[in-house]
Amino acid sequence: MSFVPKTQHYSGKINAVTLGTGDKAIVIGGQNVLPFYTFDAPIENAPKIGVEISDCAADWTAPGLKEFYAGCTTMADYARKAQTMEGADFLCLHFESADPNGANRSVADCVADAKAVAEAVSMPIVIMGCKNIEKDGELFSKIAEALQGKNIAVLSARSEDYKTVGASVALAYGQKVGAETADDINLAKQLNIMLKGLSIAPTSIVMNIGTAAVGYGYEYVASTLDRVRLAALAQSDADLQMPIIAPVSPDTWSVKESTASEEDEPAWGNAEERAIDMEVATASANLTGGADAVIMRHPAAVATIKKFINELV
Amino acid sequence: MALKGLDIFKLSPKKNCKECGSPTCMAFCMKVAQGAASIDKCPYFSDDAKAMLNEQTAPPMKTISVGSHKLGGETVLFRHEKTLVNKNLYAVPVCTCMSDEEVDAKLAEMAKVDYERIGERMYVEFLFVRNAGSDAEKYAALVKKAAATGRDLVLECWDVECAKAALAVAGKNVILDGATPDNWEAMNEVATAAGVVLGVWAENLSDLYDTVKKLEAKGNKNLVLDVTGKTAKETLANAVLVRRTALKDGDRSFGYPSIVNVAKLAKGDAHLQTAYAAMFTEKYASIIVMENMTYAQALPLYGLRQNIFTDPQKPMKVESKIYPLNGADENSPCALTVDFALTYFLVSGELERSNQPVNLIITDASGMSVLTAWAAGKFSSTTVKKTFEDLDIENKIKNRTLIIPGKVAVMKGEIQEKLPGWNVVVGPTEAVQLPKYMKDKEYEAAAKAAAAEAAAKAAAAPKEEVKELSFEELLQTRVPKIEVVDMGVQYKGHNPESKTFVTIGERIHCISPVIRKAMDERDPAPILKRAAEQIAAGATYLDVNIGPAEKDGPERMMWAVKLLQENFNNVPLALDTANKKAIEAGIKVYNRTNGKPIVNSADAGSRISNIDLAAANDAIVIALCSADGIAKDNEERMKHCHNMLERGLSLGMSSDDLWFDPLFLVVKGMQDKQMDVLNAIKMFADEGLKSTGGLSNNSNGAPKNVRPIMDSALVAMAMMQGLTSAIVNPCDLRLMETIKSCDIFKNHVLYSDSYLDA
Repeated sequence: MSFVPKTQHYSGKINAVTLGTGDKAIVIGGQNVLPFYTFDAPIENAPKIGVEISDCAADWTAPGLKEFYAGCTTMADYARKAQTMEGADFLCLHFESADPNGANRSVADCVADAKAVAEAVSMPIVIMGCKNIEKDGELFSKIAEALQGKNIAVLSARSEDYKTVGASVALAYGQKVGAETADDINLAKQLNIMLKGLSIAPTSIVMNIGTAAVGYGYEYVASTLDRVRLAALAQSDADLQMPIIAPVSPDTWSVKESTASEEDEPAWGNAEERAIDMEVATASANLTGGADAVIMRHPAAVATIKKFINELV
Repeated sequence: MALKGLDIFKLSPKKNCKECGSPTCMAFCMKVAQGAASIDKCPYFSDDAKAMLNEQTAPPMKTISVGSHKLGGETVLFRHEKTLVNKNLYAVPVCTCMSDEEVDAKLAEMAKVDYERIGERMYVEFLFVRNAGSDAEKYAALVKKAAATGRDLVLECWDVECAKAALAVAGKNVILDGATPDNWEAMNEVATAAGVVLGVWAENLSDLYDTVKKLEAKGNKNLVLDVTGKTAKETLANAVLVRRTALKDGDRSFGYPSIVNVAKLAKGDAHLQTAYAAMFTEKYASIIVMENMTYAQALPLYGLRQNIFTDPQKPMKVESKIYPLNGADENSPCALTVDFALTYFLVSGELERSNQPVNLIITDASGMSVLTAWAAGKFSSTTVKKTFEDLDIENKIKNRTLIIPGKVAVMKGEIQEKLPGWNVVVGPTEAVQLPKYMKDKEYEAAAKAAAAEAAAKAAAAPKEEVKELSFEELLQTRVPKIEVVDMGVQYKGHNPESKTFVTIGERIHCISPVIRKAMDERDPAPILKRAAEQIAAGATYLDVNIGPAEKDGPERMMWAVKLLQENFNNVPLALDTANKKAIEAGIKVYNRTNGKPIVNSADAGSRISNIDLAAANDAIVIALCSADGIAKDNEERMKHCHNMLERGLSLGMSSDDLWFDPLFLVVKGMQDKQMDVLNAIKMFADEGLKSTGGLSNNSNGAPKNVRPIMDSALVAMAMMQGLTSAIVNPCDLRLMETIKSCDIFKNHVLYSDSYLDA
């Protein structure tokens, strides 16, 4: 008797969430099979790539990045350029400099940047903060207000601040909100329940279930992704069916493999190549595990992952 | 598909001859089903029955060996279900279509990537030697050159004559990746004659399956499957379907390791090959063929592989040694932390960020994090001293400043004492605070203060002759007299023969700051208060945890035992510390009226000698069914159980005095392992063994109002499985009432309307 492959059907389905408006709007999620398991069922929406633009982008040293963004000074300049990057589906504005323990840029300045970007580009926008709970709370609320009608996603609400962030971003200004937890499936579920408890529609929620560069405790990310996806599909757990956006580049560009100079590690070779492969491998691992979108930085890495996705769906 | 004991029993001789060492055939078959005994121990099973059992109990996926490498052998599709066993390996190609110069360049390039990461050698394990024509001599020459590198070989060769010529010079550590639906018969003969693994490839899975079936019919099960398709999409489908068919559907004809050639799927695109290789690391390739392996590719891919193939139950450890950071030398200060890989990465990363030269000293703590290791006695002044001796730090480093983690500030004094001449400084509690701490050189003032303090101490107290005192002497000189106080509660007594559930009250524990302080100061009040509460709530035993107590363990324990027993009608106690001398001392003053003392605890690893301690002192011992980390399944739990049981029995213990602890696991994190734990309890009970454990660990991290509900539900399920005791908080009324009710249903206590008040 010859081999007849068995397909695996799941009753659960990942929520389809729309970001942005108009022609450039994108949908993430929507599938009812494990990532790229096209032999079980077609993939509803191919995973998407967001290009990270930081307000500290002037500090980026990789020659390829500098060249790509040559002549850009404002965040809007960067955004306009990023929009042309091969493989880009949306833009991620990363307000690192708002950190009170760092440059402590004012909320008003950051909001002005976000507004300028929104006017300059038509791609969907995702916002990342500076990880300072208090500052992010204010920043997220003000940006969500300023960009009303743009259907942006704000990353992220955490268990410490989900009430304020959820209420302002999603309820008051009608944007999408990200639920951020760190490699803890129980907490991921709980946070979604709490956000829904604020009367936020499930389709207004996306998740960040934790990130790490490969080699740096990535096993926790990998297993959390596997378990979240299996709970959503096999157990039809509606509290874990939110699509996942994985911010890859902030982690991968800060590990030694990416930052060490060629003088310090002569055997390792070209630093930019290392950073690109680190970003590519981490993005691929995330997409293979269940991320519906990844946030990336380098044009070569973005182009590679776009090709990777196109080949697989 | 695990075979049940009863299925095996049907095939058994049913003689009950006991020659296998088990009392009945049934008991023997149960053991065989659990993997605790080999079927060969029974002389009367028919060969047919044995063959059938071996076939049915064979793992769903074969482990194929090539040289020192193992491929396949996986039992689960996702690492969280249990663990992945054999990491994927890498290969780079050389080909007869390349010139000699190209081949040499390739081999030289390949050899460059060879480094160590967290105790693992990272290099290209295989050369993938392609034959592009039918020139046997040319191919053999290439294979010979490849074999000379010492790497194992995958020979991609569909030409039978070329394969023969190649195998004549290739050695044994080879996969002949050459069988197809057309040539399988001839290739099979070549491979089996040479005794090497045969690789099978076909256009589609259906043909691949048929070819494997034919090879198996010829008796060859030493196979790997080349699942590379025309596209990445098709290849992923092949890799997943092959693995899923074997593991989920139990069809062993696809239960072989797989080869994926990403060089073929993304020729000339190194970045895309990196992306594919990362995917196939997670999704089921055993050997991944890359066009090249540069450092840029190796660093992330080997890192990912190391993560994915880490046993979820065993923490990743880094080597215990001195890591000089930021150009540190013998004159740079030292910082100390544990060998848990994540701790190491976090701490070394932050220290590097500080740009200050510092020697990071990693001490062996069994891969636990700082606080966990401290609580388990794996990170103590003694282990630190041992590290300093093993690594010869005294002579290697001249600077005498030692920064210890802020979380174990309590260890400062002890370390200072064990490492005379060093200035021990308490560092920050979180790694993120390190850059600022190092840049501001906050440790310098503290080191000066520590040095001054040590000098003052030395000046003040002339060195006392340290003489080890006997327990009797200690008791006379160091243990304060016990005053009996009326706490309004009397211990009601306990009959050790009773079958009722034994609760061991856990509230006297040094992790509580109140208790730790009371123990340090020998202040009876807080300890008596907690004891009275637990006894009033109905605890059978009280656990007495005195902490690692390295310095004054014996007198501490003797004081605690006397304090509790003299005040509470000889309440029976569990003596809980990593310090063996302290346990021994405690037992010396222990009164057995209400039951033997319990040694808490032994395990099947480094603490197995606590069984000897219990045996020598006629005590009960709690035997943790784990060795290094949590057991990955019940097979392992039972293996540990039987090891410890054997040891206890050989030392003359009664099996009733070994209380087996399956290790209750936290639901938040290990929800899918809860039934395993419950089933282990059933296995203990089926063998007539007693069991116990820290039951409330299941609800760690759950909301306060939910914990009693979870604990009660679990104790009811566990008692149903045969749990005979648990370490609990007796002040949890719901839990205690549940236990009493279960004792009614189990017919251990005669029912009356007021049974809850008893």
